Amino acid sequence: MYDLKKSELDVDQAKTKISARNVQVFYGDTHAIKDVNVEIADKTVTSFIGPSGCGKSTFLRCINRMNDTIDICRVEGEIKIDGQDIYAPSVDPVQLRARVGMVFQKPNPFPKSIYDNVAYGPKIHGMARGKADLDQIVEASLRGAGLWEEVKDRLDTPGTGLSGGQQQRLCIARAVATQPEVLLMDEPCSALDPIATALIEDLIDNLKQQFSVVIVTHSMQQAARISQKTAFFHLGNLVEYGDTNVIFTNPKDERTENYITGRTG
Amino acid sequence: MTDATTDKFDWAAPAFQAGLRKRKRNELWLKGLGLGAISIAFAMLFLLVGSLISTGYHAFTQTHLRIAVEFDPDLVSADAPERGDFRKILTNTMQANFPDVADDRVALRRLTSVLSNGAQFTIRDMVVANPELIGQTVKVNVPVSDPYDQLNKGLIDPETDEANRRLKDDEIANFLQLKEAGYVTKPLNWALLTSADSRFPELAGLKGAIIGSAYALLVCFLLSFPVGIGAAIYLEEFAPKNRVSDLIEININNLAAVPSVVFGLLSLAVFIGWFGMPRSVPFVGGLTLALMTLPTIIIATRAALKAVPPSIREAALGVGASKQQVVFGHVLPLAMPGILTGTIIGLAQALGETAPLLLIGMNAFITSAPSTPFDSSTALPTQIFIWADSPERGFVSRTSAAILVLLTFLIAMNAIAIYLRHKFERKW
Repeated sequence: MYDLKKSELDVDQAKTKISARNVQVFYGDTHAIKDVNVEIADKTVTSFIGPSGCGKSTFLRCINRMNDTIDICRVEGEIKIDGQDIYAPSVDPVQLRARVGMVFQKPNPFPKSIYDNVAYGPKIHGMARGKADLDQIVEASLRGAGLWEEVKDRLDTPGTGLSGGQQQRLCIARAVATQPEVLLMDEPCSALDPIATALIEDLIDNLKQQFSVVIVTHSMQQAARISQKTAFFHLGNLVEYGDTNVIFTNPKDERTENYITGRTG
Repeated sequence: MTDATTDKFDWAAPAFQAGLRKRKRNELWLKGLGLGAISIAFAMLFLLVGSLISTGYHAFTQTHLRIAVEFDPDLVSADAPERGDFRKILTNTMQANFPDVADDRVALRRLTSVLSNGAQFTIRDMVVANPELIGQTVKVNVPVSDPYDQLNKGLIDPETDEANRRLKDDEIANFLQLKEAGYVTKPLNWALLTSADSRFPELAGLKGAIIGSAYALLVCFLLSFPVGIGAAIYLEEFAPKNRVSDLIEININNLAAVPSVVFGLLSLAVFIGWFGMPRSVPFVGGLTLALMTLPTIIIATRAALKAVPPSIREAALGVGASKQQVVFGHVLPLAMPGILTGTIIGLAQALGETAPLLLIGMNAFITSAPSTPFDSSTALPTQIFIWADSPERGFVSRTSAAILVLLTFLIAMNAIAIYLRHKFERKW
């Protein structure tokens, strides 16, 4: 893809974190993702936009092998993180998912205490050396998600008792707690009000200093506000990928332009 | 549409109004039918419970005689108190109260027939427990035999023709004399719960049946709960979805619908016939009931697992939990209230099951409560079956009373199920 190379040249970015080559995804007989090639940079926010059903969430879920849990789903091609093929037989998807955190569309805290929600990941991976260590991880993660000040006095109350925006930040804290290298976000703000959305967007801006963030969004304003790179998906194809301001101001492809200007949805 | 000049729909048109009236009428009809159905169901329920209580309440009291018994040292010796002639002691006691009755065997037997056949054992147990009683005169409570109990409860009408009556005029006169002397009491019939079965209604109780049912349910629970949950977890969470698993699923659903008598025949052939297990024991009863409860538990558990929202699974998978950690750490605890409810309802079903227990011989006549699950015993439903079959008048009310006891256990189990469901209900 010519566009891809160009944008890479144009933008002065850190090294490539995720690189996908000829990725195909099939749901049974349906060809959901067609020949996607993309290079996602480290310590950058990359947004995936496109109409509903275009495959952006599907592709996102390939990056932490979440699609493995769907029986009829089949992934072909090659996705590398730091040069290592994550679909290689030697890679354990369970361990991979700790390195590639994910935040979902609907806030989905465990019906446990706030503390346990955050501590769960470090616990199952044996990342903490004791209670004090775990406490520290929980505090750091909650601070990282901008939630510490709000919940520090009620860590043992259920996470499901928080407001929607707080729940989503709790989910981000939970994902951050396993010290991932990549954070995948699948429409994290679609169930939130504008104030909670603004908080999360600020948070994403901070998080990109630590790792690469990939976010699927339906809101083009959001993509424009928070991301440095944007990929436009249409009918399973990656139509255009490049610098966010280039995509939004000067799209190369007619389909991208139609979508951005609101002619197709 | 009736208006030709515009396309606007005419809400006031007669055709539309008629349609509206018809809809309202239909709605009223539906409501009426629903209310009718519920009223009929309630009427039936009241009829059932009402008839059970109206016949069964007699069995909750038992007529006793409180009489002074002299433990004559000639009839019972301190060396072997259990070998005393207690029948004679009782005859002497009655004779002391009725000096007018002729001293011949027939008359005396008619006189002592007021006392239950178990009375001699009651006083024997007293003396064996406390040999110092020998030589003393002690006030003793002994149950009266069934016909006099019926008479005391007004279930035998002294006005009917003597030939059609269980008790003759002189027997009634004897009893009335005792009653006037203040010897007759009618305390609560704890023996109904604390004694095992007996040929004599006044002595018969449900202890053996309750313990037998408890053992059978325990065996049933210990077997069907872990196996059922294990099978359900495997089928729901781990098994590949293919023809084999479809076939298994269909068969489990069919198994839940198999008539219980078939399970009884199966265990008769397999457990008793092949494996040579003993008849009439709660352990085999529990195995049989476990076979029946298993499909119920599997189906309930699968439904409960399915009801756990996928977002929780995704959340756990997303932080790097393995499939097994997701299932046992998140899905299973969240499904537990549903699983417990299903299990308790399955066990309640098993508690009331009669046919399979009849086939493995749990309707035997056994007069002692089992002390282990491997002792012969009856179960509550089979005890009801036995008593319903017995000709003595006293068993009529005892059958109803036993049904009430069984219903109480069932209601208690269902109440626990409802309580657990509410207590652990979670909102997402």
